[in-house]
Amino acid sequence: MNSRIRAGLIGGIFGLLISLVSGGQIAYLAGIIAGAIASQLAAQEEDVASVRAGIQLGLRAGLVAGALTALGVFIRGFLINPLVNVSADASVVFMLGLGGLVMAGVAGVVFGAIRGLPSPQNRFGTLLAFGLLAVAYPFLDSLLNLRFMNEVIPVLIFILMALGLNIVVGYAGLLDLGYAAFFAIGAYTTGMLASPHFGISMPFWIVIWIAAAVAALFGILLGAPTLPLRGDYLAIVTLGFGEIVPIAANNLDNVTISILGVTLLENFDLTGGPRGINPINRPSLFGYAFEPSQPIPWYFLILGLIVFSIFFILRLRNSRLGRAWSAMREDELAASAMGINLVRTKLLAFAMGATFSGFAGAFYGSFISAITPASFGFDVSVILLCMVILGGLGNITGVILGGLIIQFADRLFLPQLGDVVQGLLQNSNIEVLKEINFKTDFRTMLFGLTLVIMMLVRPEGLVPNERRRRELHADDEATAHERQTLYDAEQA
Amino acid sequence: MSDKLLDAQGITKQFGGLTAVNSVDFSIERRSISSLIGPNGAGKTTFFNMITGLYTPTSGKVLFDGQEITGTKPHLVTALGIGRTFQNIRLFAQMTALENVLVGRHSRLHAGLIGTLLRLRKVREEEVAARTHALDLLEYVGLGRRRADELSKNLPYGDQRRLEIARALATEPKLLLLDEPTAGMNPNETGELTKLIRRVRDDRGVTILLIEHDMKVVMDISEKVTVLDHGAKIAEGLPELVRADEQVIEAYLGRGAAAHGKGGRMPTAA
Repeated sequence: MNSRIRAGLIGGIFGLLISLVSGGQIAYLAGIIAGAIASQLAAQEEDVASVRAGIQLGLRAGLVAGALTALGVFIRGFLINPLVNVSADASVVFMLGLGGLVMAGVAGVVFGAIRGLPSPQNRFGTLLAFGLLAVAYPFLDSLLNLRFMNEVIPVLIFILMALGLNIVVGYAGLLDLGYAAFFAIGAYTTGMLASPHFGISMPFWIVIWIAAAVAALFGILLGAPTLPLRGDYLAIVTLGFGEIVPIAANNLDNVTISILGVTLLENFDLTGGPRGINPINRPSLFGYAFEPSQPIPWYFLILGLIVFSIFFILRLRNSRLGRAWSAMREDELAASAMGINLVRTKLLAFAMGATFSGFAGAFYGSFISAITPASFGFDVSVILLCMVILGGLGNITGVILGGLIIQFADRLFLPQLGDVVQGLLQNSNIEVLKEINFKTDFRTMLFGLTLVIMMLVRPEGLVPNERRRRELHADDEATAHERQTLYDAEQA
Repeated sequence: MSDKLLDAQGITKQFGGLTAVNSVDFSIERRSISSLIGPNGAGKTTFFNMITGLYTPTSGKVLFDGQEITGTKPHLVTALGIGRTFQNIRLFAQMTALENVLVGRHSRLHAGLIGTLLRLRKVREEEVAARTHALDLLEYVGLGRRRADELSKNLPYGDQRRLEIARALATEPKLLLLDEPTAGMNPNETGELTKLIRRVRDDRGVTILLIEHDMKVVMDISEKVTVLDHGAKIAEGLPELVRADEQVIEAYLGRGAAAHGKGGRMPTAA
């Protein structure tokens, strides 16, 4: 199949699913997303020599993606809506479909053209385009009346954490199943230093640094006992730490310490127990107070934290320390023979990974304003690991993309899909189907299914390391063939 | 300073009941090329691992450059000036050739966490210098700059061996330990690599100790040959003398074969 059409179809699937499930004005946004993805994928398949070639390529891929998006809009408008008794004005549906198509084409052209620029500019341009999209999002959100802002902010918190986890798992190759512990530590540090709990109210802008530092310190403390461990064994120990931290938070509400008969602390409430800490102070900037009812400042605050983090993570990646992490991941023995101090390098990986989780925790605490031990469980660690692996281990773009897809699937797409299917079931005339509560019963299953399918389709992650991708697909047919014969032999 | 760069005194390594290396005395002169030979399982690699700090000797001590290094951690041994390659190539597979060599520079660079995060001028300059140095090394071992950005696992076998040497040289060793550097190479490649090894000593003044099975290489470049068998030193001296040693031939070919002196590895070298 033509690579442009294939890229268009892949991008189009996103557009189709979004417009199909969510309906309404989101079609425009779905078109932009579909076009951008299609254009990026197409440009990855073939070399784009000039802006002109980029525009051509982007337009084709974008229009294919747009056609699928429009298809989604039409199915939703003309087939599903009548079934669930939502009145649909044919001309409105038609305009939405056309809008999705046009937006996909425009996004395809813009991103294709950028990829056609000469080498340093095209990277910068792509970054700038995605940056502008991120900055423009809150306005698109209100313009298209999407009301997703309160969902988008937690998504970004998770992405910030995934970036930190990527240092530990992707760069240093240390499989960490208890990463949520550092998120908890960042959030609890914020809770203790900026709330009526201890009567301390330090400003957010100072607390966030302390939270990061405390998280880093715990990164070292929890990392130290795991030093001789690797792979599966390390995973099990970190899993344990991940469980210990929330349980400790749950139980440290009545601390009594006495040494040799001298009571140092009696019935001291450190963490607020199962009730947690509430309310945590919110940030304010130059007299402007952040309010929960106003999501836009929060959005830009977390976006800023992410950009800040990426900036420093990239510096770490391309440094003596970053190379030491990679070397340690590839071969510990050879790394130590090349003069790398394994203890120091590992602890720094844990510490730096925890730092960014500490930022995320501090933000989360202030944003939600009430933290309880239940928010920092194993599921958080697992989802984060999924985001990192799905996106492509060790690749920042991949981690962000993987994070966006998993988080949006979990928070927006699957619940809405649940609504739609539930509506269809309720309106069907079959009694058995009406009994099914699709929304609660199937959501987790669909989420798992999404993960399984994505890992089968793209085991190397969505945006793998450029070099690794080339090498995985260079002999694609040969390996696929080998694998096939391998399984044939087993069946025979 | 003594003339001995490395001086191992009665080092022994036991794994449980097995004595892999048994009370071996061994020394290397500065700027020399020496070989360590012996049948498979003779304890050669174990000996290397004790010198480089991967194993701590059960007894005995190792002096390097007049300083005791027995039981010193591998990364500190490297910093003191012992570089090595591995018997079965241990490059960092998912890193480029250039990155592999840059990892070798690790102990000669000083960038810390703060300097890296703030990208201080000192750190930037150090990084530029390290890159130049690494590229020069790639050129020196005959890989050339155009392969610099290739993943090390995608390099041809012979180039991987060369890259391992470049990476070890990046640590600025006084003593370079090569564990079977020509294993798996054809005669042509072996000849080229032998030249490179000699060049490293002549140009850079690096003392070289190699474990080698190819007797042609051993006889060609070694100034001294030491033979290990069952963990013990059974012969040592000039290559020609060692080759003629009855005990050595016996160790390689088994009892009785010494009388015939034909077939097997030793004679092919002649």
